[in-house]
Amino acid sequence: MRRYPRWPIHMALLTVSVLMLLPFYWVVKTSVSGENIFAYPPSVIPKSPHLFYYVDAWYYIPFARYFVNSIVVSSIAVVANVILNAMAGYALTRDFVGKPFVLFLFLSCMMIPFQATIIPAYLITGRLGLLDSYWGLALPQCSTIVCIFVFKGSFDAVPRSLVDAARIDGLSEWRIIWKVMMPLAKSAIATNVILAFVWSWNNFMWPLIVTRSADMQTLPLGLARFLSYQEDTTGALYAFCVMVLAPGVLLFLLAQREFIQGLTSGATKG
Amino acid sequence: MRIRSALPIWCFLAPSLVIFLLYRVLPLAWNLVLSFQDWSPLKAARWVGLSQYEEMLFDDEVFWQALWNTVIFIASAPIAVLLALGLALLVNADIRGRNIYRTIIFISYPLMTVAVAIIWRWMFEERVGLINYVARSLNLVTQPIPFLNSFQWALPSVIAANTWQMLGFYMIILLTGLQNIPENLYEAAAIDGASARRRFWRITVPLLKPSLFLCFVVGMLNSFASFDLVYVMTGGGPGRATELLVTYIYKLGFVQTRFDYAAAVTVFYFALLVAITWSANRLSGGNAGAVERD
Repeated sequence: MRRYPRWPIHMALLTVSVLMLLPFYWVVKTSVSGENIFAYPPSVIPKSPHLFYYVDAWYYIPFARYFVNSIVVSSIAVVANVILNAMAGYALTRDFVGKPFVLFLFLSCMMIPFQATIIPAYLITGRLGLLDSYWGLALPQCSTIVCIFVFKGSFDAVPRSLVDAARIDGLSEWRIIWKVMMPLAKSAIATNVILAFVWSWNNFMWPLIVTRSADMQTLPLGLARFLSYQEDTTGALYAFCVMVLAPGVLLFLLAQREFIQGLTSGATKG
Repeated sequence: MRIRSALPIWCFLAPSLVIFLLYRVLPLAWNLVLSFQDWSPLKAARWVGLSQYEEMLFDDEVFWQALWNTVIFIASAPIAVLLALGLALLVNADIRGRNIYRTIIFISYPLMTVAVAIIWRWMFEERVGLINYVARSLNLVTQPIPFLNSFQWALPSVIAANTWQMLGFYMIILLTGLQNIPENLYEAAAIDGASARRRFWRITVPLLKPSLFLCFVVGMLNSFASFDLVYVMTGGGPGRATELLVTYIYKLGFVQTRFDYAAAVTVFYFALLVAITWSANRLSGGNAGAVERD
């Protein structure tokens, strides 16, 4: 094949990369800026940089509390997703009366976006007495249909003979899932963990609806609350924003391949 | 025997089924019932037939505004996908550092949308936002534009932020599609003397169709369900300039406590979603489902 010049491609991609990164830079710059953030013209490189706004944010905001809340809710969601989806995914690899109905139900439920359920979901959670609690926050996110099918696909690839052998050895169905299937489904587990984590960690609408007390707020909610109290007037908002984003960016960079694979397979199957 | 072997299966399915019945199926039915009633948490329910829907269709300008904004938001998705197609072709080229480019373009996708919204509020800020600063420095504008407080600019600004977040995601999907096209097709076409443009239209585009279509569908559904970005960036304002159906439903339910009316709007919202998905499926000749569930 004819070789083409590379530099125009590099130029185009460099421009796009700069455009993609500039918003991050602008916020980080503001968060470490030592001058009035509303001075015009804004400085492109922070003048007399310091971490004052971070200290400010730390004392203004119960950051640790939000962080712990987010961690607890996301952990419940992740653990529940792996266990419940693996069980349901395994069930779907078997033949049983009513399987077409269950498949139909799952595929139809996939069509119902969470946004179309908020009013009754709130009322139901209220009847269950779970408003303003960790379980109420986590419950709707405890099982995901996409992820059930990710597990099903992975389990379908396990040779039949292996399962039959395990059954002859007297393993119960429950132990077949955990001793035979799961060790062979590492990438499905990774996809489950990543999707469940990203979805519950970033979720804003549901916490906004079910939490009342400041003590139960998760990070996105805390961030939005802080914005509504302070408007854009303080650099501490941007310090808070960076503190919220940093763990996510770090995590993404550490497990990039798994993240990209998990996130795209989640959406392509959803 | 049959029943005994089926029992564990149903036990495995039960927890997930309960969650979906509780948070998907039951809400759908409840919405439908609620939309025909006059009800609030402190009041006994009364059947009112179609009057909620009448109000929605004939007496509620905000509803129509929100619907129109939602349609514009959805219509922006294909533009973003075409931009992403360009990027996917670029990062598919055999160049050094392409993995770094891919990472940079993708990284905004998994981030918390609330934080992304705050970032973009600051970018669009009237006085010291980067966009106004650059535009003023280049003498493109004489007066700074109050992007998020202007009826004209607020919705395009939110759409721009949404595109920024979604671009990398579309790019990766399209890139995977590009990489699945066998290289020897291009080689054969090149030997036959097909020009690069011809190869693009005759090989790349037809074989990329499923991925493109998937992006369009995911993009439309994403716009359709978008809430966080609008809520934090503009709160639906100024006026109702960026009100979407979802933000309107939220406000009706949890700000004005009109659960019954919010339910009616939700029923409409869901019907619209089903109609869009169904016609998308028809357009692709039933292929969309196959791609989504393979």
